Amino acid sequence: MAVAAAHAGAVGHHDHIHPEPEGFVAKYIFSLDAKVIGVQYMIAGLLFFIISGLLAEVVRIQLLTPGGAILKNDAYNGVYSLHASGMVWMVVIPMMTGGFGNYVMPLMIGARDVAFPWLNLTAFWMFPVAGVILFSSFLIGAPDAGWTEYPPISVQGPPGTTMWCIAIFLIGISSTLTGINFMVTIFKMRAPGMTFTRMPLFVWAQLATAMLNMIATTALAGALLALFLERVFDVPFYDPARGGSPLLWQHMFWFYSHPAVYIMILPAFGIISEVFPTFARKPIFGYKMIAFSSIAIALLGFMVWAHHMFTSGMAPWLQLPFMILTMVIAVPTGIKIFSWLATLWGGKIDFQPAMLFALGFLVVFTFGGITGIFLSAVPVDLHEHGTYFVVAHIHYVLFGGSIFGAFAGVYYWWPKMTGRMLDRKLGVWHFWTTFLSFNVTFLPMHWLGLLGMPRRVAQYRPEFQFWNDVCSIASFVLAASTLILFYNLATSLIRGKRAPANPWHARTLEWTVSSPPPYYNFKTIPAVLKNPYNFGEPLPYIGLTLAEEEEDRLPKPGPAVPAHS
Amino acid sequence: MAQLTAPEQKGLGPGFWPVTTALTVANAVISYFIVVLPIEKYLPEAAAPAGDIDWLFKFMSVIGNAIFVYVVGYMLYFCWVWRRRPSDAPDAIGIQVHDSPSLELWWTIIPSILVLLLAIFSVRIWINLQNSLGDVLTMEAIGQQFKYEFRYPRLKQPVFNDMHIPVGTPVTLHVTSSDVIHSFWVPEVRLKYDMVPGLVQTLRFTPEVIGKYRIICTEFCGTNHGNMVANLYIDSQQDFGRWIAGQFKAQGQTGGPLNLSAGQAAAGQQLFGEKCSTCHSVGPFTQKIVGPGLGHLTDDPAYPNLVTGKPVNAEDIAWILVNGYQGPDNSQGKAGPSIGIMPNRQANALSNKDIANLAAYLLSLK
Repeated sequence: MAVAAAHAGAVGHHDHIHPEPEGFVAKYIFSLDAKVIGVQYMIAGLLFFIISGLLAEVVRIQLLTPGGAILKNDAYNGVYSLHASGMVWMVVIPMMTGGFGNYVMPLMIGARDVAFPWLNLTAFWMFPVAGVILFSSFLIGAPDAGWTEYPPISVQGPPGTTMWCIAIFLIGISSTLTGINFMVTIFKMRAPGMTFTRMPLFVWAQLATAMLNMIATTALAGALLALFLERVFDVPFYDPARGGSPLLWQHMFWFYSHPAVYIMILPAFGIISEVFPTFARKPIFGYKMIAFSSIAIALLGFMVWAHHMFTSGMAPWLQLPFMILTMVIAVPTGIKIFSWLATLWGGKIDFQPAMLFALGFLVVFTFGGITGIFLSAVPVDLHEHGTYFVVAHIHYVLFGGSIFGAFAGVYYWWPKMTGRMLDRKLGVWHFWTTFLSFNVTFLPMHWLGLLGMPRRVAQYRPEFQFWNDVCSIASFVLAASTLILFYNLATSLIRGKRAPANPWHARTLEWTVSSPPPYYNFKTIPAVLKNPYNFGEPLPYIGLTLAEEEEDRLPKPGPAVPAHS
Repeated sequence: MAQLTAPEQKGLGPGFWPVTTALTVANAVISYFIVVLPIEKYLPEAAAPAGDIDWLFKFMSVIGNAIFVYVVGYMLYFCWVWRRRPSDAPDAIGIQVHDSPSLELWWTIIPSILVLLLAIFSVRIWINLQNSLGDVLTMEAIGQQFKYEFRYPRLKQPVFNDMHIPVGTPVTLHVTSSDVIHSFWVPEVRLKYDMVPGLVQTLRFTPEVIGKYRIICTEFCGTNHGNMVANLYIDSQQDFGRWIAGQFKAQGQTGGPLNLSAGQAAAGQQLFGEKCSTCHSVGPFTQKIVGPGLGHLTDDPAYPNLVTGKPVNAEDIAWILVNGYQGPDNSQGKAGPSIGIMPNRQANALSNKDIANLAAYLLSLK
């Protein structure tokens, strides 16, 4: 068979399996295996998720009464600053790229590992170190100026602000390294026959994310270094009295942090794009447009940063290009939303927890996307900027978008990662409690902001108490709903049902190996004949040889189909 | 693995058009309620751009609502109609459709048009926010931890935390900060700009509804950021006049009468160098910088009149200094092209004495 021969030739002498490392430390602590590193990212990310989530609950307890229920102002300012910094840099970014990316992406492209395993190991270990530095800033006075840390107030901020600089700088290096690593991996290590248009959409999303990570994070590093130098050595980068500019920080910070919102959301788009076809039992609708729109969003994402600065002070005419380019992003984002919607049409939709979270994502992300357009229009933004409307918007896209996406990913790939099934009923409970309490927590914040409640305040006007209490109480339910997930994960590990190789009848490559996969992923690298979403056809892979211990647990790959598409 | 067969595609599926109709009706109803929603009942529209901004907000709400209702409505409907039934095989599959170029074209084109519309409306309102509003009260607000300082023309000492402005008079407000970044937000005016140290930003609005409103800091500025609030009073013209007179009196400042005959050319010359020479030369009329040259007002036969068309004398020069001037150039005895904008005395911070001195100086030039 010509294809098989070409395949054997293409894999050639590079295809050899390294011996499995021995000993606990080499296997689980300083492992070079992307899957182990992915799980490590997730464990660390989960710990930081719990810490940052508890901080959010402290915020909501404080806001139960207009005068502030429990904390003095300075303590409260530290709490919300670390809640946001933690969620952005220690939870969502590392979980989405380092966690899901490391575990799933190499499997999906038919690779044994990422391109640079040692780089991967280095990048991972910067992450928990950065997290510990960030949260231990509480010991010496936590940073208080929010996750954006605008100078000059952040220059005068508590000593912990310097630790914040160091922690974020470290995690920035870590994500840059991961970006480089993933980019090379995706470009150079795809299985033979996996052209770009045959790549799973999750891989496309990781590619766009890697590009953003690689390019944008340098701007953040520069801004942080300058802030560090000003705080420690009194170099007046941001001091207008000595020739600096406070706006320098804002431009550099947002040149990173706007692309960073896409770093956080694109992998979630990728997860959704896998979950929808699998559980609707249909090809993803408009594969090429979804892949193209990921890249379009990533590119446009570099040209809109100053929409965070409409009130900050820039030449008024400059507001217009930033406003219009921001509105333009709605078009590729809309393409994705409509394509997911069309994927549902004509399906055989199976409402597994992963699918419920993907559907929940569609609802809340659409809502958050629409409020984003409100914020993009300068005249309306002049009213909404800096208020709870913005807080509501970011939680709709970051919690409702990224975290719902991550939850969908957890339910989807958990059986692959652990070899155990999660309880479906608990998953359904988790979804409904989370979805409802999420909306009750964050929806009222829209009108709180519009009616005049600014963000980052420890006290507020008495007339806002009712809705703040609604938000707070719902947020307690939201926290409790997450306990259902933790309980589900824990019991699954202890006594969960054994997972078959392919519990969801999915078609991407990671489901062709056992659950969990062997450390070398594939005994032989398969060749790819088609894009993975043609349900009802035999799997489009040839040359999949199974390790002996896998064979009885796996579906047999079908006969080769003619190579086209 | 057995070959799975996809169900055949028969039209758009059961109930598609009734559901589409229902969603359209729901949209129309919700849109109606958005349009008639009296926003000003919940949050007054106290100054001129507020109404425009609320209009844009409603426009976006109507569009956003339509998108949301259709997406979520179709999602729920598809989830119901195309759900997996208990009788289906565990790996049963749906209709194998990959894409539809025409559909994808439409859902690219329609949002693009909506975005274009939104951009056009936003830009139109944005332009109104930039334009000078004519004869104005020009004043300054300076943020500092944790209060607001307001400076009025000719009032030597600032006023703290109470900002008074007269209803109906356009306000040009320059904002900045003396320490860290603050923000100046009046929800009832729908406007906000950050107060950034080392940078001056400008808000323009016309107060319309008499009342007391909130000024709120929205940029984190330190421990007491949450308590950094001030009051905006939109007063009647009479109340504002009384208030500002009271401020002058409290500070021992009185305006003094405008006595043109007491003007001193030497003092006027110095003042001209400080305040006028950025825009006006002391050469002939045609030697323009921004405005015309003012060195030969009294002895240039080509330009016998002031730009207002009035003869050259102290009273009519003083009128321009007091009121400013904007409009056609009448200096040659007939209406010429527009001459540009000469700011009024508030903008230039001219006292009565200053005006007398300047008039005397300009008349002394030959």
